[in-house]
Amino acid sequence: MLTFLVRRVAAGLVLLYVLATTAFAMMSLTGTDAARNIAGNMATPAQIAAKEHELGLDRPWIAQYGQWLAHAVRGDFGTSWFGGDSVSESLVLKAPVSLSIVVGGLLLATVLSVVLGVAAAVRRGWLDRVVQATAIVGYAVPSFLMALMLSATLAVQLRWLPATGYVPLADSPSGWLQSITLPAVSLAIGAIAATAQQVRGSVIDVLRQDFVRTLRSRGMSERRVLFRHVLRNAAPPALTVLSLQFISLVGGAVVIEKVFGLPGVGSAAVTATVNGDTPLVMGVVVYLVLIVVAVNLLVDLAYGWLNPKVRVR
Amino acid sequence: MRRMVMAGAALALVAVPACGGGAGTTASTTGDDTLTLSIGNAHTGWDLASAALGDNIQYYEPVFDSLVRLDSKARPRPNLATSWSYDSARTVLTMKLRKDVRFTDGTALDATAVRKSLLHNREGTNEAAGKLRAIDSVAAVDPRTVAIHLSAPDPQLVVNLGDPSGMIASPKDLAAKGGPVGSGPYILDKGATTNGSTYAFTRNPDYWNRKAYPFDKIVIKNISDPTARLNALLGGQVDWARITPQTAQHAKSRGLAVQGHADSVEGLYIWDRTGRIVPALGKVKVRQALNYAFDRESIVKKLNLGYATATSQMATAGSTWYDTSLESNYAYDPAKARKLLAEAGYPDGFTVTMPDVSSVAPGQQVVMTQALEDIGIKVKVDKIPFTRLFTALQSGQYAMSWFKLQSGQPWDFIQSELAKGAAWNPAKDFDPKLNSMIDKAQKARGAAQTATFREINAYLQDHAFNAPWDVLDAVQGNSKKIKVTPRAFVSAVPIYDMAPAG
Repeated sequence: MLTFLVRRVAAGLVLLYVLATTAFAMMSLTGTDAARNIAGNMATPAQIAAKEHELGLDRPWIAQYGQWLAHAVRGDFGTSWFGGDSVSESLVLKAPVSLSIVVGGLLLATVLSVVLGVAAAVRRGWLDRVVQATAIVGYAVPSFLMALMLSATLAVQLRWLPATGYVPLADSPSGWLQSITLPAVSLAIGAIAATAQQVRGSVIDVLRQDFVRTLRSRGMSERRVLFRHVLRNAAPPALTVLSLQFISLVGGAVVIEKVFGLPGVGSAAVTATVNGDTPLVMGVVVYLVLIVVAVNLLVDLAYGWLNPKVRVR
Repeated sequence: MRRMVMAGAALALVAVPACGGGAGTTASTTGDDTLTLSIGNAHTGWDLASAALGDNIQYYEPVFDSLVRLDSKARPRPNLATSWSYDSARTVLTMKLRKDVRFTDGTALDATAVRKSLLHNREGTNEAAGKLRAIDSVAAVDPRTVAIHLSAPDPQLVVNLGDPSGMIASPKDLAAKGGPVGSGPYILDKGATTNGSTYAFTRNPDYWNRKAYPFDKIVIKNISDPTARLNALLGGQVDWARITPQTAQHAKSRGLAVQGHADSVEGLYIWDRTGRIVPALGKVKVRQALNYAFDRESIVKKLNLGYATATSQMATAGSTWYDTSLESNYAYDPAKARKLLAEAGYPDGFTVTMPDVSSVAPGQQVVMTQALEDIGIKVKVDKIPFTRLFTALQSGQYAMSWFKLQSGQPWDFIQSELAKGAAWNPAKDFDPKLNSMIDKAQKARGAAQTATFREINAYLQDHAFNAPWDVLDAVQGNSKKIKVTPRAFVSAVPIYDMAPAG
């Protein structure tokens, strides 16, 4: 199990290095005139050149990257070129916002997709058809459109929930829940649709297997068969879909944060990329890759727990 | 199954109070004593040397007081400076300062503090610093008197001292490393502030002009997305926000007050007036032809939905250098445009490469391209990312493009588009006559100065420096619980021009 874990962590670190290098190269190659954006419209060419020198932008990108990497491995991600905030501190402030909506969306997706998928597989008939039809619609509607519709109706029209903003959990648990509900629901709908379909298919497959028939013939209750045996065997494929959905939730959060005016990592990433704020963009890249790697690791561990054969791979 | 039912019940329990309390909470986040604004621009830090202008002014105003205060017509009125006067050469501005003003760190605001702050503000490279370039040195004559020495007369300086350029920070932390320290009406509430998203301010109990600021608390939310900003306004989470002409009608129908006020002149800006890139543009008749190519009234009505005023001159209506009589020139006439092109030696037009502005002005790009093609000019659109557009324009990469600039204050406009070193003058000093007019305006005063500015305006139109279409409005929406008086020639409304309604 330890070798398995070490191998997965090493793979994650290689991925992190490759993505960070690619991101840095892209930031440097596309060129966004960061020095000019910082200096402002009225800056003279000499002032812009001085700012470029100060930021090290007049050096080859590989030298800039080497310096960034040397600091990053020590946990120093520098300061944002715009506003001068520490990148690490900024991410610590913004991460709870993004994690709240992504994890909230994932929890919602997990619970509802399992409930809907299992119900559709077990009951079949009209319920199955409704679940499938709803899933197709849910999957087809992009999360940003869902966000705009939910915001226009539930927040702006009915004023049940706030249209924008984030309330930290520590300040007000109910305020926090209100502020993340619409973004999390907007994010979750696509994931629910995809995962519910997967759960439904897997449960139907397992229900048809011989061991289920054997368990039933031994007089085991239907509930016990379903929860003890069928779900455990149907879980791995659903888990795969859910882990993929998580990555798409992280990506979707970038847009959702903009729609709901949430000060999260996603909206920071958009602004930083447009401005050419390399330190902040790189901080966001590292943070997002680490999250995705960690979630994949957890999914792998869950596989191992569900199916011991996986551990020896 | 029982466990599932219990989990569902637990979720419902958490969710019910959330929904139940929702209506009350969202509507009451802004109490009557709190003014909540939403700004699209990101905050650029508390150091006044790096301050941007426009909408960003609202970030600085609660904390820092300025030497003068601008009224709704952008005229300077006493504030920290109670009076001021120039010497005969107009290169020394002497200001008398208000007594008994202290920064929130306890330091006295005196001539030395003003001297240090102004010199510090001047050292930056952003917009606020750019307005102080004429300052050569500042002397503290006595504790209540400062003398600002200029390298050359600056007709706009006193007005600019009403913006972040003339805001005064405590000499103990000019770079605001520990957060902003000013003598303004409010103090930044660090506990309720999240850098980059929400800035909260509470009253400065020692502020000398408390009645000018009726709200006990100011909250500024940075929301960059226009839809989110509008939703925050419609949902009652903010009291004031900049909105777009496209959403103005919707905002009105939902009971919000919507106002537009003159902001910037948009149109086809001709950067290559020497004909370096496109020789045709070096000829006045060609540039005049461009001015006949645009149906300005239609642009105002269809593109900007009425939130603009058609114009064919660079001066903004209401400003000192605006001339109504000039509006009769360059009425939409594509036939005349083609005739002028032919007279200039371009009967078949010419080809010009223009930068892609579709990410910020998609409608304008379409209208502009069509209008130019209608008079025989072929447009090649260069797919440059918008983030690189400004540098490309300033370095003279493009011969002409869609653009907009503020022109409410003639000297500011001259400094930003016409002067030799102006940021938006890639053609540099190609026109000696214009340069001498600018010199004359700089040294003149009073009515003579205004007359010269008007001459410059007429000269710009006659020589077709650009092909302006309209003065775009800064459109803003506010809840009816507040009353808003826009200030001329600036996109945002100063906080002191907002008050509880009734």
